[in-house]
Amino acid sequence: MANTIIGSSIVIDGEISGDEDLVIQGTVKGKISLKESLFVEASGVVEADIEVQNVEIGGRVTGNIAATDKVELKADCRVVGDVRAPRILIADGASFKGNVDMDVKER
Amino acid sequence: MATNDQINIIGKGITIRGSLTGAGDLVVEGRVEGQVNLKNHLTIESSGIVEADIRADDLTINGTASGNIDAITKVSINQSAKVNGDIKATRVVIEDGAVFNGSIEMDVKLPDDI
Repeated sequence: MANTIIGSSIVIDGEISGDEDLVIQGTVKGKISLKESLFVEASGVVEADIEVQNVEIGGRVTGNIAATDKVELKADCRVVGDVRAPRILIADGASFKGNVDMDVKER
Repeated sequence: MATNDQINIIGKGITIRGSLTGAGDLVVEGRVEGQVNLKNHLTIESSGIVEADIRADDLTINGTASGNIDAITKVSINQSAKVNGDIKATRVVIEDGAVFNGSIEMDVKLPDDI
């Protein structure tokens, strides 16, 4: 699986786009738009608006999230921003502040 | 896992626009535009395209790079590489088959009488 890993020592300020899975362990500021899945791991810090298919968050995210499929907030994540997706999961222990919008028109 | 010598990969399907800073090794198979500032080794794979000013410790280019390159130790431009820009490094290696346009400044002490 040729996926992309932004390691914990990396800081990106700008825009990330693409059509494959992305794992963030470092810091990303700006904007992320992907056609596949995004994984923000526990060490990951994202200050960006996110447009993806799937996103799994275990770290910190500040920004609005729009997913075409699913948003998963795992335990111990911290998310501030509005979330829009047809499926949204929030695990016990996650902290989240923002609006949730599941009212996505059927595909 | 969170050590400074971990490997970071920018995969084929990914484009980054903006600045990228950090420690650790970085492998670019996708596209990076803007600025790259790295404490360790940067590898641009043959599918990788970097349109950025690059600062790194050392650099291996198999793909396409345009922009100025500032390396502390070494720049290797391999056979499949296409590079446009100025290079500053202590050691620069250009393989047969590589395409390079630009100037090279090696940090060489010239004799005083030149």
